[in-house]
This record gives sequence, C-alpha cells and structure tokens, in this order.
Amino acid sequence: MAESKVARRYATALFNTAQKNDVVKSVEDDLSAIAGLLANDHKFRSFMLSPEVGREEKVKIAEKLFSDRVTALTMQALRLLLVKRRENEIEALRDEFVSLRRDHGSVAYVVVTSAEAMEQDQRTALISKLQSEFGKSVEADFRIDGRLIGGVRVQVGNHVLDGSVSGSLRRLGEALRHNILFQN
Amino acid sequence: MSNPQKKSGMPYLVKLIIGAIFMAAGVWISQNTTELTHSLTEKGIPLDLGITVSVIGVFIILIPVINYYYFTPLAEAINERTQALESTFGEAEDLRAEMSKMKSDYEQRLAATEAEARSQIQAQIKEAQALRQTLMSEASAKADELVKRAQQEIEGEKTRVLNELRSEVVNLTLSASEKILGENMDSDKNRRLVAEFIEKVEVPK
Repeated sequence: MAESKVARRYATALFNTAQKNDVVKSVEDDLSAIAGLLANDHKFRSFMLSPEVGREEKVKIAEKLFSDRVTALTMQALRLLLVKRRENEIEALRDEFVSLRRDHGSVAYVVVTSAEAMEQDQRTALISKLQSEFGKSVEADFRIDGRLIGGVRVQVGNHVLDGSVSGSLRRLGEALRHNILFQN
Repeated sequence: MSNPQKKSGMPYLVKLIIGAIFMAAGVWISQNTTELTHSLTEKGIPLDLGITVSVIGVFIILIPVINYYYFTPLAEAINERTQALESTFGEAEDLRAEMSKMKSDYEQRLAATEAEARSQIQAQIKEAQALRQTLMSEASAKADELVKRAQQEIEGEKTRVLNELRSEVVNLTLSASEKILGENMDSDKNRRLVAEFIEKVEVPK
C-alpha cells in the first residue's frame, strides 16, 4: 500500500510534466516498453531489482540502454527512481501513469474475456457499444479464458457485465441454492 | 411434761384440800349414817354414802395426778403423733402437689417439645416436599429442554443434510450442464452468444 502511494506520487508528477510538454503518449509508450522489458527479460529484471548492484551502475546501464530510445522526460524519471532506490516501483509507476492518463482523457478501461478469440468485427462492435453505453472512449484489453465455455465477460473497474455461459450457469446455481435456502 | 396446776383452772392445792375434805366428809358420813346404809342395803340398794363421798374425794385428788402422769403425756403423744402425721401428710401432700406440678410441668414441656418436634418435622416435611417439587420441576424442565434441543438438533441436522443433498444435486446438475454445453459449444454458437451480448448489454447507471 505504501509502495502504491509512492508510485502514485511519482506518476502524478511525471504525468503533469508530460501533459505540459504534450508527451503523455510518448512517456506512456516508454514506460510500457521498460516495464515490458522488466517483465520479459529475466536477466535485466534481476540486474535492475538486485539490492547488491549499486545505484550508479544501474543508472549507467539504464542510460546506455534507454537514453536514445525514450524521451528525455522518461529518462529523467527513470534516473530519479534509480537514484532514490525506487526501481521496484517502475511497473506500478507505469500502471498509475496509464490510470491517470485514462482519468484525464475520459477513457474507460475494460477487460474483455471470451472463451475463444473474438473476431475483429465483433471487437469493434463491442467497443462501439460500450462507448455508446459509457458515453466516453473505451480502451479494451482482450483476453481468452476457456472456462467461460461460451460468450463474453466485460469487466469495468469493479463492475462485471457477464454474458458468458459459465456466468449464466453460476447465476442459475446461485438462484437454485437461494431457493433451497428460501424453502427452509 | 406440763404442770397439772397450770393446765386446770383451779390450783392443785385447792383440789387437794377439797379432796381431803370430801374424804373426811365421807368418813364422817360413813360413821354417822350407819342406819341409813343398813336401810338401803335391806331395800336392795347397797350404797354407802360415806364411801361414795370419800371415793369422790380420792378422785378429786387422783385425777390431776392421773392427768399429770398419764393423760397429759398421752395427749401430748397423741398430739405429737397427730402433728407428725399431719406434718407427714402435709409433706406428702406438698410432695404430691410438687410432683403433680412437676408432672404437669413435665407434661407441658413434653407437650411443648412434642409440638415443637411435630412442628419441626412438619416444617422439614414441607421443606422436603418443596425441595422434591423443585427438583422434579427442574428435572422436568431440563428433560423438556433436552428433548426440545434434541428435536431442534435433529430438525437442524435434517435441514442441513437436505440442503447439502439439494446443493449437491444442483452442483451435479450444473456440472453435467457445463460439460454438455462445453461439448456442444462451437465457434458459430460462441459467435452468436457474443453477438447477443453486444446487442443486449447495458451498463448499470
């Protein structure tokens, strides 16, 4: 929780600066790339998150890797994190930054889970329908989960719009169990 | 022994003189009335007035002596005996009265003790009866409570088992349904389901 607050604080400062310089999208892409590298490259992750490696060495490697690939603002933020020994917050910083960007840009983030991969026309139709329902643009993260059996489930924050077969079966089971209890 | 002179109203000396006078008078009468005596004897009355008067004189002299040496001690003895008897009777009467009183007291105490004992016994009996009643009531209430609790537990257990059974039936039914649906699901059906969702989906406001 304390770590999230730290990431939130860094993200807010970085987002405000990026907004002033009109580089929000570039910074987000940079942060996603760095976070993606951390998630996918085990050696890079071990190096960056190791407490035995000195901060100067980490800064040096980071500048070598990213200085000509990311914006100056992103590089400055990354350097600050490494100097302050907050490298563990890089992924959380990316998430908080994206969240801030969505909040400011009036964008709804949804997770769409389906039993099979949705075809493009259905994806477009679903996003269009959701944009119409929410009254703002929608960013969707499409995922596949065979346990749904069929249909689709959309998660928006804490709300779930469940059109899956497994969801229908679950609701049916809950109704039957409720009736069993209600009979007694 | 009391003095005879003190007892009689007349002093003994006076009586002695009177007796002597009667004796002397008897002697004189006996000597001077011989003819009268013979006459009376002849008539069948053997009375000598002189002897009679003399004897009266002797009696007058002897009665105080007899009285002094015989009647007075006898009367005193009788009196003493009478007093002793009266005293004895009085003591006996006192003793009898005391015994009667003691007996009465004893009977009263005995009655009181018996009454108290009876009262205590009655109280104990009542207390025992009350205790018995209380214990019986408590035992009965406890038994009723146990029976009620057992019935509730049986009922609860029955309901629980029935619910478990029904839930199990629901689970099995859902599992079977899930399996059947999974086996019968294909891309076309899935696409139709997605299309149906897109058409009907509504975001709760």
